[in-house]
Amino acid sequence: MNLNPEFQRQLQLEFSQARLIGVPLILGVIFALTYIIDDYQFASVTTRSALGLFLLMVSFWGARQAVDSVLEEQRSHTWDTQRLSALNPWTMILGKLLGSTLVVWYGGAICLIIYAISAPNANNFMWVCSYAITSGLLVQNLSLLLSLCALRKGQINSNSIIIGLAILAAFTIGSFIMPLSEDRQNIQNAVDVSWYGLNTSVQSLSLVSVFLALFWCVVGNYRLMAQELRIRTLPWVWLSFALFLILYIGGFIPAEKFGDYFYTVAFSICLTLSYFAVFTEHHEPMRIKRLFTYVAAENWWRSAEELPLWCVTFVLAILVAIPLSFTHPADIEELHIYPLTILLLLLRDIGIFLFFNYGKNPQRAFSLTLLSLILLYGVFPSIFTAAKLKGMVVLFFPLISDSTILSIFCMSLQSALIWYLLYKRWLESV
Amino acid sequence: MINVDRLIFEYPNLRALDEVSFHIPQGSITALVGPNGAGKTTLLRCMAALEQPVSGDIRINNIDVLEHPRECHRIIGYLSDFFGLYDRLTVRQCLHYVARAQGIAEEDCAAAIARVSKGLHITDRLDVLAGTLSRGLRQRVAIAQAIIHSPRVVLLDEPASGLDPEARHELAELFLELQQQGMTLLVSSHILAELEAYSTDMLVLREGKIIEQVTIKAHAHAQDFKLVLASPVENLAALLQQIDKIKLLKNEYNQTVLLQVQGDSLQQHELLKNLLAQNLPVCEFAKITSNLQDTYLETIRHRS
Repeated sequence: MNLNPEFQRQLQLEFSQARLIGVPLILGVIFALTYIIDDYQFASVTTRSALGLFLLMVSFWGARQAVDSVLEEQRSHTWDTQRLSALNPWTMILGKLLGSTLVVWYGGAICLIIYAISAPNANNFMWVCSYAITSGLLVQNLSLLLSLCALRKGQINSNSIIIGLAILAAFTIGSFIMPLSEDRQNIQNAVDVSWYGLNTSVQSLSLVSVFLALFWCVVGNYRLMAQELRIRTLPWVWLSFALFLILYIGGFIPAEKFGDYFYTVAFSICLTLSYFAVFTEHHEPMRIKRLFTYVAAENWWRSAEELPLWCVTFVLAILVAIPLSFTHPADIEELHIYPLTILLLLLRDIGIFLFFNYGKNPQRAFSLTLLSLILLYGVFPSIFTAAKLKGMVVLFFPLISDSTILSIFCMSLQSALIWYLLYKRWLESV
Repeated sequence: MINVDRLIFEYPNLRALDEVSFHIPQGSITALVGPNGAGKTTLLRCMAALEQPVSGDIRINNIDVLEHPRECHRIIGYLSDFFGLYDRLTVRQCLHYVARAQGIAEEDCAAAIARVSKGLHITDRLDVLAGTLSRGLRQRVAIAQAIIHSPRVVLLDEPASGLDPEARHELAELFLELQQQGMTLLVSSHILAELEAYSTDMLVLREGKIIEQVTIKAHAHAQDFKLVLASPVENLAALLQQIDKIKLLKNEYNQTVLLQVQGDSLQQHELLKNLLAQNLPVCEFAKITSNLQDTYLETIRHRS
């Protein structure tokens, strides 16, 4: 039988005989204890323990396994062998995810069987199982995605951060699933929610949303793995994801306010995604040099391949900003929504991050940017507010200015300065 | 087989490869030599499509490596200088995984494993955990992994580092065997003596530039000889130029000369007889074994 070689190797490494026997043995001991606590029957303590253990295993242990399936390759210098192999991105992703976590799902299946035996109402079983399994898969996929990002940035010792996030995710999922497992009423009395006029329960929509998130995670994993395997890619997936998110979140805007808020929501999504892309992508000065070389050679296909992802959502934000400017979005308390000023703010912040990234310590770029942004958004405006120098506050936080022209001027000044410094630093590093 | 044209690769503040161009013929074993930091590993990684250069062109077996990196991966085998093995798997499992990952069908894996393990003398270690092997044996397993799919081009970065003399000798024999099978090899190393045994060509890389490409074993029928006379002979150069199939390379005080002699050992014997017949006071007539080290050092001397 021609098994997926990566899956087979992961099985050989992770599904040892000791684990095959050890996992049910340990779980058996735990459930024996809960059985005794439950007065020699499978009741509520066992139910909660089974579900809790399932979530902990698939999230914490599963995330660790998924992360190690990528980062361990780099640590043990076997990554080049994999990159040069004939395996395609799907084979790699499926092999790594399913192979490394099969032992986790083996333990998880035992927990779900115990849950099924002990659950007070079997009616909720399918709901709880669907939530638990898709959420577990999502956490594992997300961990793999983050580890691929970390690999690109050379941060191969990021296990603890990613696993920490996975534990956080496990608790979040747990807080949602646990009440469902206990009472049928929780599903029957579910609040309805409207999505583009379609009325459905929060539970159903959440489950669909988790499925969609899982889908995009798998697509993201495929793309990152394809890039690692040196398959040439254009940034259309990122663009599709941004458009999907705009359409998906736009569905929650009440029909009567759709016209007022749609562009604001779309604009916010583009800004958030631009920040996310710039912070997670690997930025090397040589990439920009390659980009300029391809542009000079009018090799547009190659240029698009080298284009940083934040540029895609930034351009999309500009496109959304045009209709947004005509809708005159309402102010948020003292803040005015000036789309152009906000775009310039984004450009300034990206410039700051890239400036630190092209420096001698790119590992510190994120923390230094965070510090700079705290100073620019918080400390300086606060000092000038306390000193009652509103004109100076406007310089750092132009959204409070009543004049659009002034706010644009202030931000243009800052952005131009940052990008000039960034250009100088880039020139020094190439 | 391999054509590299004006390849430029840059690290921040450093041009690692500066308009590198060369051609490697099919079936050759080319030694890639140069001091530390010359750009050897970067060049090999670019050729293996693991790194993306700023500009230039790399073609391996007519495949544009920069345009079609995955197609290039199919036909090359690469051993990196910091290679790794799956320490918790046995050697057989490691080889089986790489064989399958390189697209060898399950039913053909056993034969492929047997072939490479025989060639690298690791047949008796197939069921040993890779993590328990010595450095030399790990090196052999890594080379076995790199060639298990019978690639047309094999790129090896410091393949003999950490090997004992016996293992190096076996490695040289293996490379010659791979060459006979039609593979083209590019081997980078610091240890020139080790490359001597099998290299047909040499590429000298220095500060990111190819400063010399020489053929080492192409003219097997022409050999350099040193002729030393007991005492100087006035018209030595004129005398030697009258003899067929020899070329005077260097004359030192009409007593010591360097000659390039065409032909096999029988013709060399005839030449010696001829020299003695001309009543030359020959006291030494010996083949000069110009080694890779000499060629390399000479190149470096000329260029500096």
